[in-house]
Amino acid sequence: MATDTSSIPNQRVVETLASRLRRRQVVGSHETALETVLVLRQVISKARFSNIDQLVEIIRSVGRKLVEAQPKEHTVGNTVRKVLHHIREEYHTASQGTAVVSTSNNTLSIARFVLQGQPRKQNIPQKGTLNESHGTLKENNPDDPDAFARTLKPVLMEAIQDVLDELETVYDNISKNAKDHIHSDEIILTIGKSSTVEAFLKAAAAYRKYTVIIADTAPSYSGHDMAQSLSSAGISTVLVPDSSIYALMSRINKVIIGAHAILANGGMFAITGSLLAATAARAHSTPVVVCAGQFKLTPQWNLYHEYGALDFADPSSVLGFEEGNLVDKVDVINPYYDFVRPELIDAFITNDGDHPPSSVYRLIKEAYDDEDYEL
Amino acid sequence: MTKAERREQQERQRAAKAATKSTGPQPGGSNQKPAQAKKGAPAAAPTSASVKKGGKGPDGKSTKEMKETTTDDSARGLRIFSHFGLPKPPGPTKGDIHPAIIRLGLQFSEFKIAGANARCIATLTAFKIVIQDYITPPNNTLSRHLVTHLSPQITHLVSARPMSITMGNAIRQLKLDISDSDIDLPEQDAKNTLCQKIDDYINERIIIAGQVIQETAGTKIKDGDVILTYARSSVVEQVLVGAWDDGKQFSVIVVDSRPMLEGKKLLSVLSAMGIPCTYLLLPSIGSVITEVSIVLVGAHSLHSNGAVYSRAGTALVAMMAKQHSVPVVVCCETYKFSETVQLDSFTKNELAPSGDLFSSFPLTRSKDTLTLSKAANLEILNPLYDLTPPSSITAVVTEVGVIPPSSISSIPLALGRTTL
Repeated sequence: MATDTSSIPNQRVVETLASRLRRRQVVGSHETALETVLVLRQVISKARFSNIDQLVEIIRSVGRKLVEAQPKEHTVGNTVRKVLHHIREEYHTASQGTAVVSTSNNTLSIARFVLQGQPRKQNIPQKGTLNESHGTLKENNPDDPDAFARTLKPVLMEAIQDVLDELETVYDNISKNAKDHIHSDEIILTIGKSSTVEAFLKAAAAYRKYTVIIADTAPSYSGHDMAQSLSSAGISTVLVPDSSIYALMSRINKVIIGAHAILANGGMFAITGSLLAATAARAHSTPVVVCAGQFKLTPQWNLYHEYGALDFADPSSVLGFEEGNLVDKVDVINPYYDFVRPELIDAFITNDGDHPPSSVYRLIKEAYDDEDYEL
Repeated sequence: MTKAERREQQERQRAAKAATKSTGPQPGGSNQKPAQAKKGAPAAAPTSASVKKGGKGPDGKSTKEMKETTTDDSARGLRIFSHFGLPKPPGPTKGDIHPAIIRLGLQFSEFKIAGANARCIATLTAFKIVIQDYITPPNNTLSRHLVTHLSPQITHLVSARPMSITMGNAIRQLKLDISDSDIDLPEQDAKNTLCQKIDDYINERIIIAGQVIQETAGTKIKDGDVILTYARSSVVEQVLVGAWDDGKQFSVIVVDSRPMLEGKKLLSVLSAMGIPCTYLLLPSIGSVITEVSIVLVGAHSLHSNGAVYSRAGTALVAMMAKQHSVPVVVCCETYKFSETVQLDSFTKNELAPSGDLFSSFPLTRSKDTLTLSKAANLEILNPLYDLTPPSSITAVVTEVGVIPPSSISSIPLALGRTTL
């Protein structure tokens, strides 16, 4: 880890967030992402490092600690990876001055085509050339160990501010094109309470008149909160129990749901009930649209095979103690998330445009660096 | 009034409304009206009716019309459910309704008696009492007059809760028996014969049929099976209890859902017998379906196109099971067969009363945060039934055998009868 004197305040701030994550005092993809960025900003502003590798290692260790505290909140790891990606980008821009990595010539060449498919590592010029070529970044300067950090920090702060801005404007960006996705007199199905979907539907309601059918989403019954929020915004809503999803599907024009995390193969973790809605929609050939910010893109994809990949919540909302004598005789399962296969989803609407599940891998390649997939 | 005249009147009143409207309360109101006018005659009829209702004075008309436009404005989504009709509490009884029927109506409307079999048996038992108390008026024969006597009773029951297919089939059989009864029999004998016929019907078509189904379906259950069932079907309960009594070792997953949360009753029966049970709510079914060996569900009625009309949620369970290649077996007596063809869950359905009639919400969530009643822009619907398409069903177990859903229409043939 980094030098000891600056790590103590860092440690405290990181430990606080880690314990809050562990105790689930901060839940929800957006919340956790915001908190992580703020912690990383503090860490970086107080960190002492004299070359890029030390900085990366500091951030990586912070990331590891946070991810271990709550592995089911994927956005924590995603935010750390995003910050690392920005840091490396800023570092390379700063250390090369005006030289740009990506080739600007327009000639079509097989070599260039193949090279572009390689992981970014190979496109980055060798480290040896950096130290000699530009004097703007002094790495490993024995006389002035903080010079490197001093010159780089303002740029890093800007980069982190970019990440923060992106997180804060997620809802606005996603709702920008809402009116193109929803038409008048449509009937939309949604489940649970996703703030992204809520913002999306409210934005569309300003231009179109349509109906929203919301399923209860037992056992959290977050559908009720969504129904109250949407109906008070003037959207005509119908609240139905989950059992009628198939019954009503023949009249539904679109299914719009939110995601907890988007996996690299285009599948997603979403609130329990999403799998039912998506499968019923597929049976009726109804399009399924997922509204999610890009901070939910997770570079892992083989998580869902484990039974424990799903977060399990308190069983008393399924079978509470009021049932008395049943409680010890019966097993109760209350998974919080469902895994929805990429074949069931038609489109992801993100703050950076609309994408089909088959191009999620490309988004991930652009957003994160390969070496960060395993923190 | 021809369509043209109706349209003319609509245009006139629309112009009057536009002229006298101060500020448009509904932004989409004028959009809705032309959209409605474009619909065919059936839609034109209700709108003209509602427009005619507002035909008082110019001011009265415009305010009434604005009120009508607010209800018409309740977008298309709510209109498509308007035919369901909520159950109303049984109103003042018209005519002579037998107290047994009144009591039964109350029990139905409060869902104290629920389930196709239970309702049918309760109805027939009540009718036995009615028949015994019936006295043929002079100059009338029992076989002709009894049916007219029973009609208002039946109407009263229907007003409490829409009739189930089972009740319908049973009553049809009863009416047939009444009209077949011998004119020369003394009254008490005729009544006794009728009551005997009712008892035979219950015995043959429901109780013994249930036992045959229990044996047949029991052969499908092997040791080590994980059986999934949805909500509470009396037939499936019989099957599971019977198989457990036969010594088979299996475990059961009970899936349950609002609005009725009937699965808890099944759960208490099964766990009291010592059967290892798992309980979960409908949305969680995706996590367990891979471990299930067979799905057993009951039915409210079977239709001749092979579709199964059953408790809301059954279609979802069957769909998920089919996706994972788990056999879906419907246990159903033949008297639940209906000759109608049903294509979706909309043409015939029933809504549960809103509010928390079945205390189906967990105590962990305080009631005031839940939406239990209608509000502006908010409608609450609790459909009680849904239709499972034949593609999701593997087989139907009846007392005449195990049949694939495509052969359901030949059940009357299998019973050797021309009518059911």
